[in-house]
Amino acid sequence: MAALICEVVYRGIFQKNLAARIARGIVLSARKSGRWGIAFGRYGDSPQRNGIPAKDFAIVADTKEELEQNMARYEPKHTDVTIVLDDTLSKGVESWAWYGLQPINRLTVPNGTVLMTSVQPFESLLQDIHKRDTAYKLSLVRAKASFSGLWVHKEDHTEARILGALAKIAPSFLALDGVSQAIREIEWGSDLKVASARKAYDRLETRQVKITEGNAEIPYSFEMPKWWEMREGVTIPAIPIGKPKEGGQGYVPERNPYFKKFTTRTMRPVIDFDTCVKCNLCWISCPDSCFDVMPDATFDANMEACCGCGVCEAVCPVESCITMVNEAAFEDNASQWEMWRKDKAAYKTWLTAKIGDKQTTVRSHGFRFRGQYEQELTRDLDGGGVEITAGIPGENAAHKTV
Amino acid sequence: MADATTFTNQTQILEPFRGIKKVTIEEYFTSGHRTCQGCESALVMKLMVKASGPRTIVLGSTGCMYVANTTYYTTPWVVPWMHTQLGSSGSAALGTAAGLKALMKKGKMKSEPINVIAFCGDGGGADMGIGAISATLTHKEYNSLILLYDNESYANTDIQLSGMTPYGAHTTFSPPGKAHRIIHKRWKKNMAGMMAAGHPECRYVATVCASYAVEMMNKVRRALTIGGPTFIHSLDPCPKGWDYDPMLSHELGELAIETGIFPLYEVEDGQLRYYGKTKAIVEGRARKPVREYLLKQGRFAHFTEEDLSYFQSKVDEMWNKWEVPGVVPFRRVDAARTAATNT
Repeated sequence: MAALICEVVYRGIFQKNLAARIARGIVLSARKSGRWGIAFGRYGDSPQRNGIPAKDFAIVADTKEELEQNMARYEPKHTDVTIVLDDTLSKGVESWAWYGLQPINRLTVPNGTVLMTSVQPFESLLQDIHKRDTAYKLSLVRAKASFSGLWVHKEDHTEARILGALAKIAPSFLALDGVSQAIREIEWGSDLKVASARKAYDRLETRQVKITEGNAEIPYSFEMPKWWEMREGVTIPAIPIGKPKEGGQGYVPERNPYFKKFTTRTMRPVIDFDTCVKCNLCWISCPDSCFDVMPDATFDANMEACCGCGVCEAVCPVESCITMVNEAAFEDNASQWEMWRKDKAAYKTWLTAKIGDKQTTVRSHGFRFRGQYEQELTRDLDGGGVEITAGIPGENAAHKTV
Repeated sequence: MADATTFTNQTQILEPFRGIKKVTIEEYFTSGHRTCQGCESALVMKLMVKASGPRTIVLGSTGCMYVANTTYYTTPWVVPWMHTQLGSSGSAALGTAAGLKALMKKGKMKSEPINVIAFCGDGGGADMGIGAISATLTHKEYNSLILLYDNESYANTDIQLSGMTPYGAHTTFSPPGKAHRIIHKRWKKNMAGMMAAGHPECRYVATVCASYAVEMMNKVRRALTIGGPTFIHSLDPCPKGWDYDPMLSHELGELAIETGIFPLYEVEDGQLRYYGKTKAIVEGRARKPVREYLLKQGRFAHFTEEDLSYFQSKVDEMWNKWEVPGVVPFRRVDAARTAATNT
């Protein structure tokens, strides 16, 4: 008797349907391989929000009894395979249900597998993934994170490729033929998708991760108040008002100390302080109040509060003053303004390198216009995907003018 | 005996911000909430209290702005905030205003004007809470502002249809299918118009959009300065339920105004004033076609040309046929007859 427990870690809403398809696909593939299975979402992650990490689970067992034994738990405490649908989640997960930062490999059993969609090399991923005291395997399906939205699904075969890869990782639970059969028979299936699954099976890259490898940083955490420590009426203190930055100038708001936003972020704004015209638009338009006002009246995006929506780039009137860059290109959450203040020439070099890389500046965050996903799939996403435009391409599109 | 109570209730005098550089630098709704990337409603919360200032009490009925913001034992609020039930933003506003007044009258707290703002979503406000809001708008002796943040669905619980969901939109309750493409066939309620027309003693009703941040804040300041029960309706693009790249939140807000789908106006003491891009439309500037707004959202991705032109014709009607364009939907019989003979 044995069971295979999988978690699917993904970006809320963006990948909600994708993750559900994968979890369901695992169960159906298991049935076709003569096993039993169940798929379910994590209660604590609902209601989901765009970008906030969330989890689905899928359990496959040899017998019904074995499956029921696993179903009796609220949610799995250990997983054999951790499936990660966006490689920026390798920096950790701060979900609704968790207080503090949870390393991506936290639930993975010793010698289990973290299966990730990524185009990054193993080494750069291991700079982000936290170190742990047992060895595990890291497997990569070579693909960019597939983002869509609630209503329009992006048919880029990610779900089929993950299932194919899983057949390679856990052949005693999911046979490749079982996976192929399941993909063909369920409503989103096609022969082309079956071929994608088989290719992913053949091309899966796997590497052992030693206990010496990984990000040594201790993840952010804090103590939750006990019920007897709560105040009368379950009231809580308000956040204090902020303070000037330095010398009575600028302004830094106080922030909710228990929720950081940085694991929600898939891209971050990179700011050219030299070309900033101090128009205040990014600051006023930021839903997360992430911009600190600097003494020179420029604005520094605080990387503990920024969730990476990109509205600041959209409202900025200066070309390339704010550019969204993929989170994978950064090692820490340090202040860009302080870096700029210290050495302006070095900052310029850093900035030019960051915003000049097509690979990390291409944006694929869900629906922009009808037909966009089809266009993206026919083009090479890595080479720039679909142009960011105002208006509808083919009708009235102008280059981003906002 | 006639009640002598009139508008002697003192309010804070909040002068309009003269430009973006003059806006209060302090945040009273800060970072660390759990809303979506690009959440326009979170921006509305931030601007709302930035406009009202520190001497403000905020009451929030159930919805995204309650659930996502104040997750278990944490808060992003700098000003006092309290949760209230889904349909009770109106009663909470009135009760709080009355409570403050009583405490001040009895000398139990310092007498000073304190802003009371209750916010509600479109589900909590336009569907469930409409009765309580309506009642509050008739109590002219209490100063309170009710702000409806309208993201056009029950967004918190994963996008169920509300009375404010636009025609044809894809929601959990109205998924387009092969046999029936359009499931939601009802036209959206005209909430601000209804509140203004239906409550003659409510001194201020406005519509706002946070894409025009300074104007939006000035409407909040105006409402609080005027006092009595006041009502503001804000249209908030929702990247989760409308299905678009979060970066476009600002742009979609602008498009909603420029296409004429959501008119910007204020009604102060019975005087209607259009403002911003809406004013230009009323003065004859061409509206952008609604397709520019609709086709940028996944919730309308199933629309055919026929659906687009139906939507356009309904919006045209708002501007060409309504007695008061964009505000009051009925027409005088005479005007209708004249129109009929002309065609």
